Amino acid sequence: MAVAELIKSIAQTTDLVETYVPGHRTCAGCGPALAYRLVAKAAGKNTIFIGPTGCMYVANTSYACGPWAVPWTHAQITNGGAVASGIAEAYRMMIKKGKVEDDYPNIIVMAGDGGCSDIGLQAMSAMFYRGHKVLCVMYDNESYANTGIQVSPSTPYGATTMFTPAGPEIPEAKKHHLKDPMAIFCSGGHPYIKYAATASIGYPIDLMNKVRKGLAQDGPAFIHLQCTCPKGWSFPSDQTIEIAKLAVETGMWNLYEVVDGDWANKIFNVVPKKLKPVDEYLQTQKRFCHLQPEHVAEIQNFVNNRAKALGMEVPLPPAK
Amino acid sequence: MAKVYKQVPFAAIVPSPQTENEGMITGNWRFLRPVVDKEQCTECKTCYIYCPDACVNYSKDEGISFNLKYCKGCGVCSNVCPVGAVSRVPELDFDD
Amino acid sequence: MAIKKRGTGLTAVADAWQLADIDVSASFPIRPYTAIMAELAKRIANGTMKCEMVHGEGEHAQFSIAHGASMAGARATTGSSGVGVTYAFETYSPIAGGRCPIQAIVGDRTLDPPGDFGSEHTDCLTLRDNGWIYGWAQDAQESLDNSLMYFRIGEDPEVMLPQIVAMDGYFVTHIAQDYEMPAQEQVDKYLPKFNPQFRLDTKNPVIMGPQIEPEMGPPLEWDRHVVMTKVKEKIVQATEEFAQVFGRTYAPFVEEYMTDDADMVFVLQGAHAVTCRSAIKYLREAGYKVGMCRIRWFRPFPDDALQEILTKFKVAGVIDTGTSYGAPCAGGVLSTEVKAAMSEILNKPIIQSFTSGLGGETITHDEFFAMAEMMQETLKAGKLIQSGTWVNFNDYHEGASQINAAKNEAAPSK
Repeated sequence: MAVAELIKSIAQTTDLVETYVPGHRTCAGCGPALAYRLVAKAAGKNTIFIGPTGCMYVANTSYACGPWAVPWTHAQITNGGAVASGIAEAYRMMIKKGKVEDDYPNIIVMAGDGGCSDIGLQAMSAMFYRGHKVLCVMYDNESYANTGIQVSPSTPYGATTMFTPAGPEIPEAKKHHLKDPMAIFCSGGHPYIKYAATASIGYPIDLMNKVRKGLAQDGPAFIHLQCTCPKGWSFPSDQTIEIAKLAVETGMWNLYEVVDGDWANKIFNVVPKKLKPVDEYLQTQKRFCHLQPEHVAEIQNFVNNRAKALGMEVPLPPAK
Repeated sequence: MAKVYKQVPFAAIVPSPQTENEGMITGNWRFLRPVVDKEQCTECKTCYIYCPDACVNYSKDEGISFNLKYCKGCGVCSNVCPVGAVSRVPELDFDD
Repeated sequence: MAIKKRGTGLTAVADAWQLADIDVSASFPIRPYTAIMAELAKRIANGTMKCEMVHGEGEHAQFSIAHGASMAGARATTGSSGVGVTYAFETYSPIAGGRCPIQAIVGDRTLDPPGDFGSEHTDCLTLRDNGWIYGWAQDAQESLDNSLMYFRIGEDPEVMLPQIVAMDGYFVTHIAQDYEMPAQEQVDKYLPKFNPQFRLDTKNPVIMGPQIEPEMGPPLEWDRHVVMTKVKEKIVQATEEFAQVFGRTYAPFVEEYMTDDADMVFVLQGAHAVTCRSAIKYLREAGYKVGMCRIRWFRPFPDDALQEILTKFKVAGVIDTGTSYGAPCAGGVLSTEVKAAMSEILNKPIIQSFTSGLGGETITHDEFFAMAEMMQETLKAGKLIQSGTWVNFNDYHEGASQINAAKNEAAPSK
């Protein structure tokens, strides 16, 4: 694996230039906005961002402006991976033919959960399959947020969204457990991804170092980044980080890396001494307030099974 | 009387900002202002790294300060401070 | 040295792209345009072309890949046919509105349903509102020449629009024909290097395609509308200079054939013009004073040229090789547009529409004769007898009713 210059502590981060600057129409306490800031900080000035449609497009560029001190282009929600592939190959060719004197830039697609693993899934899969030197960061706020919080395949079981309201016929609100892009992309089917990781805005140094490791690869890299969303998940704007950490502490989110495609031997970055019961997490967000004990048990089961399947060695709370 | 439209650049391609995006000034969203107690503050920079809007400034000489032109008052800085040095004070309490 | 070659419309455009030194091309297979990508792949593998072929995961991806490459500053191409063209539909407005001058080749093909590999113009006509510039070539030579002219026009800093080199599937994409591949020096004289004013460049960072307030929209759209007028001037210039550098002269907008003393003209675009010219020779011998106007550009639509030319005639039979179900007066897209261009013009001809050549069928001499007979009846009557005729289905020429009756017995259509 190629070597990246890692960040050692928060103290060091004030030396890193800000390329996601103040001045954007994201919600107060927006998780994805913090994600963008941290990814941009880790990547530095020689970076081109591709922004498929989503919160991080519409909110950031309202109106006819944007907060990136580096080049940025819009892409359709359907084609982030394809546009990034075109940019990557254009640069490779132009450099090879001597048409430009630039160094190959960091190329980062910041796609939402929909733009990466639902409507944009095909394009991402193809980009990974073709092995372009591009980092894909999936900022996961667990819904199609920009259009007013509608369900996406990344919405957890039991969450209310505009398309999955709770009611007597469907008391659990969202019926399906979520789709796992890490398993889809990184469990062996896309052999050119040499580095992939989950990350969380609650753990900024971990996230920034994962970005740097991803960018150091001579090929595609993928980061699945949970971004808590005060508006979408219904919690007060100051709790963005608290809830992000709680997700990891309850096993609702897991932090691990897959290096050199070794899915069987994941490297776990933050493993709590024991997982807190999921109820502690669910209680903090109104999108779960309709859940009955049987639904909470279903979620606890899911979290426990997933921890086992991932190979996390951690004491699990009982599922009732 | 024909309507006069704003000038819009070619294909809506706009230059990237350097240090701030004045196209979206958000300080007026705020109804709670962050205030740091410099006695309590250990300059750990936790508030700095967690601000989604990059509105916490740090310098060796002045320590922690807030960019009030853009700060939305979300309160994350106050929530994450390990020593409780940042409090949220109603905007109406201030003269400016 | 210019080289004489035997090839097809597809190899001809591959030659043009080779001469234009494209940097990136995005491929995906669909009949009948696929062979151009195979040709490019060969040339890349053996070093004749220095270009990256990105194997797109579908046509929507192909156009997106070319779009990204163009924004990075590379000369990028792609292509498709039929439902591939319509699958990519989402991308056409963003690319044209983003003013990225990529070039696509479309070997046109009937849209599903059902599966039909034959040529129809409908696929490419569906994107006519989205701001691309394009027209149909009638043979391999014109395909190559159009490709070079379109790069020149589309990449002009005052234009910056994407282009489509359209051609009839099979008739132009597959039939072997002779053409000349120009010399590199000629192309270097005619076509400057691609050097966009804005590109994704970390040394000069820009933000491309931000969300805008509703009231910022109209000025951007006005710009796109105004530039289409500029394109017409550039077409005239580029076509004239093409003749000077390469020695081949084209009428910029509308090719006229035997129109000097014609009462009636066929109006069409693309390869069926080749049969049409031959049919006209026979019709002339039989006493019909008929000619042909072949439209070389569909967008921008050559309304000024047509308004000047068509007023010389009494009847214009516009031939649509495609469908537009529910369109006014039972016409197709081309006839509806010709009628619109002529609607306010004094002394305009009687315009009747024919639909022919559907499904990739050849428009035969017999069919041109039948159309000429019908146009002659219109001429005699001094007014439209039937506004939209699907040739072989609801013809009204002499002998048509017997022919139609016989057909109905053989294979009744419901």
